[in-house]
Amino acid sequence: MHGLYTVFSKELRDHFSSYRFVILFALIAMVSFITSYMAGVHMKGNLEALAKTRFPFLTLFSTPGAVLSMVQFVAFFGPLIGLVLGFDSINRERADGTLIKLVSQPIYRDAVINGKFLAGVATISIILVSIVLVISGFGLALVGAVPEIEEIWRLFIFLLISIFYISFWLGVAILFSISFKSIATSALASVALWIFLSFFVSLGADVVANTVAPVDKSREAEPATIMKNVRIKEMASLCSPMVLYTDAIATIVDPMRKTTRSFVLMGPMEQVLSSRFQNPLPLGQSLIVVLPYVIALIAITLICFAISYLIFMLQEIRT
Amino acid sequence: MKRKEERSFLFLPLFFIVVMVLPISVYSSAFGEEKKDLPDRGISVSPEYTGVVVFEEEGVNIDLIVTNQGRRSENIDIAVTSIPDGWKAWVKTYSFGVTGVHVESDKSKPLTLRVEPGKLVGPGKYTIGIRGETQDKKFVSTSEVAIEVKKKKEEKRPEGIKIVTSYPVLQGPTNAKFEFSLEVENRLDKDTIFNLFSQGPENWEINFKPAYEDKFISSLRLKAGQSQTMAVEVKPYLLAKPGTYPILVKVNSSEAEGEVLLKVTLTGTYILDAGTATGLLSLDALKGKKANLSIYVKNSGSAQLNNLQFLSFKPENWEVEFTPEKIDTLAPGDLKQVEVSVTPADQALVGDYSVGLSAESGKISKTIELRVTVNASTAWGWIGIGIIVFVMAGLVFLFIRLGRR
Repeated sequence: MHGLYTVFSKELRDHFSSYRFVILFALIAMVSFITSYMAGVHMKGNLEALAKTRFPFLTLFSTPGAVLSMVQFVAFFGPLIGLVLGFDSINRERADGTLIKLVSQPIYRDAVINGKFLAGVATISIILVSIVLVISGFGLALVGAVPEIEEIWRLFIFLLISIFYISFWLGVAILFSISFKSIATSALASVALWIFLSFFVSLGADVVANTVAPVDKSREAEPATIMKNVRIKEMASLCSPMVLYTDAIATIVDPMRKTTRSFVLMGPMEQVLSSRFQNPLPLGQSLIVVLPYVIALIAITLICFAISYLIFMLQEIRT
Repeated sequence: MKRKEERSFLFLPLFFIVVMVLPISVYSSAFGEEKKDLPDRGISVSPEYTGVVVFEEEGVNIDLIVTNQGRRSENIDIAVTSIPDGWKAWVKTYSFGVTGVHVESDKSKPLTLRVEPGKLVGPGKYTIGIRGETQDKKFVSTSEVAIEVKKKKEEKRPEGIKIVTSYPVLQGPTNAKFEFSLEVENRLDKDTIFNLFSQGPENWEINFKPAYEDKFISSLRLKAGQSQTMAVEVKPYLLAKPGTYPILVKVNSSEAEGEVLLKVTLTGTYILDAGTATGLLSLDALKGKKANLSIYVKNSGSAQLNNLQFLSFKPENWEVEFTPEKIDTLAPGDLKQVEVSVTPADQALVGDYSVGLSAESGKISKTIELRVTVNASTAWGWIGIGIIVFVMAGLVFLFIRLGRR
């Protein structure tokens, strides 16, 4: 434990003093603030709509201000934090020859990787918590909406899921920094994977869905065919952690949302009768709806770390 | 230029009309000015009816016609010259007494001779003399009215008031409001206030209302000879049994009395109540799982309900079952319990749905709206937590196996 704490605190110190981190944090914080500020101003302009929503405070995070909402922004660019923090964590030590020095100290080898990972997670948590707190402050000042207990819980869960999501990308970056000797390679590999999983999977999902269950666009298709197409597309895009993440927090930040699906087949009666009571979901139900996504996100994060741990522990590092 | 010509053409027929009509009108007016061959002066005062029959203690109005037959307008003094003992007689117009009247040449004026026998006047023949004279007393006209007084048949005259109703029998459910329309006519010779009374079954509410007005009255003022429409509003006792009920309406004053028998036929009431025992109209259900609720139906009316069926208004793919599916008869005051099971569709979204349950029996239906909250099953949640625990266990295994190197 002693070794773990030493590595953890040193890594944390390194992170906070590096220009890389400062620039990244500044960028992300700035964009988040602007987004939320726009959302706040938008809400202030539409006080009528604000009066109708049960949870005005949460809309600060989920309302698209300029282009993206705060939540979407974290989904798109949050991974960059994880990648930047982790892409050179092991192979830079190796290149500088400090890894051998490190393990020659009374520090176990697992303390190195655990400490590095935990320091990354701690940094991510600090970034996210501070951004959320600053936005909350903005909200209080701009809109004057005081969060309810339930909103605070929802924000807390949103934070937890976001930390896991970004930690997954940290894990991926660490895995590449272990696997590849060259820093440039690991950086490129992690960015490539990020771009592929975040942006190309949805395109690929379209292709898969249209191949397996083609929908004739020229004619009016059966609802069942369209539904099948949409379902396959949804299933395929679940390969993307970004989709997992956006689905997982969909009902958390928007209590009025009842499903993660973009398309739902509803009969006319069902539509009328379900819109009769416009009640938000209780937090428990919102959580149960997205629990599979949250579980999957946590699981891939843990598995990714486990693989890096396994590879690092079995690697020959003295060469 | 052309327009001017057209106008002159327009004037042409007009001119013809003027030319043709003018002589005719001149001729006719010249003819009209030529007066009839009237005496210089002349008056007459004569009653319309010279012989009248009345009942004891009953007055009569006789029209009196005062005519000026002369060429000039006259002021004519009118007086009743001979009045039998115990009688009262005077000349009046509609509202006030008259002693003189101005009549223009060749015109006549109607006046009224009001004759009232005193209480002591018995049956017999009486004569009343009327005298009219010009103001300079040169011309006098007298006339007489013979009045025969007959013995009164009753204390009060039913003829003094007449009550007519077009619809004496009304039919409807017990909880309805019945409104009879009565036409009351005052056949007395004077303004009278009539008191209104009603006699109906116990606990019934019977009120008198003026026609088209929403207020209750208990008396009615009618001018002599006037008739007025009035409404009788009847609210039956809610627990009254079906059947026909008579309602006697009496209208009386000190001098006249009338009554009319109205009938209300009750067919019973159809009131159906439905609800839950606790009054709670919300239900929690899991997706695809049956949720039970018991509701009651109650016949709060007084008529029997037959063939009570249950219907539901629900989203597609949902199932709503009633046990029993229908109730053959539900006697008045009866309460029966119905078990309802609601099964949301497997694919239903979580959240609140409105489900309507209605009981229907030919004449009446009652709907209650339930709020069904669909919850997601927590079974998958436990499986998910199991996965996490499994992954964590794997990680711990790795730590133990590979750690401390």
